[in-house]
Amino acid sequence: MQNLGKDFGAFTALAEMDLTIGSGEFVALLGPSGCGKSTTMNMIAGMLDPSHGEIRFDGRNMNGVPMAKRGVGFVFQNYAIFTHMTVRDNLAYGLKSQGVGRAETNRRVGEIAELLQLTPMLDRKAAGLSVNILQRLAIGRSAVVEPAIFLLDEPLSNVDAAFRAVMRAELKSLQRQFKQTMVYVTHDQLEAMTMADRIAVMDHGKLLQVGTPLEVYNHPADTFVARFIGAPGMNLLKGRITGADTGLVADLGAAGHCPVRTGQGGDVLFGFRPEQVHPDANGPLQMIVTTVERIGARTILHLAAGDMTAKAVLDSETPVPDQGQPFRFALDADDVRLFDAETERAL
Amino acid sequence: MTDMTTDTLPDDAGDETALHGGAEERKLGFWLTLPAQLLVLFIALFPILMQVYISLTDWSPLDGIPWYQAYELWIGLLNYVDLANDPRFWSAMWRTCIVMAICVPVQFFLGLGLAILFVDDFRGKRVLYSTILVPMMVVPAVAGYMFFMLFQSGGPVNDILSFFAGRPVTIAWLSDPDLALFATIVSDIWQWTPLMFLILLAGMVSVPQDQQMAAVLLGASWTRRFFTIVLPRMKTIIIIAIAIRVIENFKVFDNFYIMTGGGPGVATETISIYIYKVTQQELIWGYVAAIALAILITLSVVSALAIKKLRGAQQ
Repeated sequence: MQNLGKDFGAFTALAEMDLTIGSGEFVALLGPSGCGKSTTMNMIAGMLDPSHGEIRFDGRNMNGVPMAKRGVGFVFQNYAIFTHMTVRDNLAYGLKSQGVGRAETNRRVGEIAELLQLTPMLDRKAAGLSVNILQRLAIGRSAVVEPAIFLLDEPLSNVDAAFRAVMRAELKSLQRQFKQTMVYVTHDQLEAMTMADRIAVMDHGKLLQVGTPLEVYNHPADTFVARFIGAPGMNLLKGRITGADTGLVADLGAAGHCPVRTGQGGDVLFGFRPEQVHPDANGPLQMIVTTVERIGARTILHLAAGDMTAKAVLDSETPVPDQGQPFRFALDADDVRLFDAETERAL
Repeated sequence: MTDMTTDTLPDDAGDETALHGGAEERKLGFWLTLPAQLLVLFIALFPILMQVYISLTDWSPLDGIPWYQAYELWIGLLNYVDLANDPRFWSAMWRTCIVMAICVPVQFFLGLGLAILFVDDFRGKRVLYSTILVPMMVVPAVAGYMFFMLFQSGGPVNDILSFFAGRPVTIAWLSDPDLALFATIVSDIWQWTPLMFLILLAGMVSVPQDQQMAAVLLGASWTRRFFTIVLPRMKTIIIIAIAIRVIENFKVFDNFYIMTGGGPGVATETISIYIYKVTQQELIWGYVAAIALAILITLSVVSALAIKKLRGAQQ
């Protein structure tokens, strides 16, 4: 994708997007609703025409190519299974539509059914199948015509929370099995983190960062990515970098001072992950506990200092102060991320 | 793996009795609603029972005895024997079937074609849509009058034909026994195609968009999508639409009566017009009751078949 954009009237759904997706790669387009991820996907599929820019498959410009000719597999949010047909007819639909012969169709349907463990239910009506079978069927129906790229539009959003983990694992293993290029649209950072090879974080029609899940988690390109990835997201405190006898120090106002590795002085946003907070009676930082959330294995502390708030995620074994009491902690200087206070970009 | 979701599904076979009370309470409910049920049963059944009763007699309002004393003129099944041997009844029945066999398919295919055109957006769709529905709103008697005027030998239909033929055309549409039925059928098609269109369009719009999109992405042509996705998904609504029109067509009366009065001769005499004539002109009400019952039974069988088909389609 190069310089890809889409405007709806005066509204810019997608500004400028450049993204290259490798063959066999699983890329997640991640962002809140309205960020342009579905628009991007619909343009790849050919349901929408880009206002500017190009989409190329293997170097071939796809602008103006009708969606039936693109070789795009699409898994819809609700799978869009043809429920009035049998599983077999669903799987064979694409091949028959493209005029593949009967013998060849039967062979390929048989193969894909075997691979997806759908063989026992080939002659059943698709209506009334359970949701994980529908997912496999939806993937099989698209995969059997061997598309160049697979697009998945939040397929797990209609699934029970408890069942999502199973579905995620199954989807990931299917993707490995088919070695299929997949683009997965989601607003759920957990889905993106667990399944994708690379995550493309989007907001307000802009591509903010592309990277492996760990890169995006550890080195967010800006404060939006920092807040969006992780549960809870990264803490960001207003601060000033100043020089001290022992090196650079971030002045965090009411919260205290914390040594940092780099920085040129001036206003910054001081970022750290809630999971990387170490309780330390002699630590340099102190904030007041406003709420204690115990969620089993972990305890989440809601902290405040002046007008700044933060969260800390601790092991539930760790003794924590009561509500209203001060909480002193330390941070590993390597874990601290600094962002420009003006541009909110990573420093 | 396959039975994973069965655990997450809600248990539909919940405790019915807990909600609706035990056997005792149900018995009380039965007695409490009994009077109302009897009343409804009476309202529904009385006219039919009365009809059955009268149909077994030779009663006529001119006989000077009230209807409940019609047993004095008891003739058993003779009315039904007469009916079976009544050539005018059978020809009216046959004519009604012909009207139905022409009107329903024509209305269906016109309605379906219009629905296909209207399922996508285009400029002026709303205005055109309302216009197409107008005939359906016209009172059938008025529609009959309109077509009565149109098909006069000096009327607009002949004027248009004259224009194309290049010479004066004076076809006597309504008084030619071979053409009168055609003219009445045209009026029925004009009036009721919009209803078919409305029902079929509603069905077509309700076909899930993403299923069609999925079919497009799998490379299916428009024709293939139409026959494999759209039509099968409309099956239920198609059966309903056709059943409604079949039953309604059995009852055609207004426009036929106004355009031709069933004539010339009996050329456009449908079953309803025949019943009307026997009731109002010949006043043999025992016989009318027999005809009406015969039709009721026929229509019930048609409806039952349609419902059976419908159940099949939904499974």
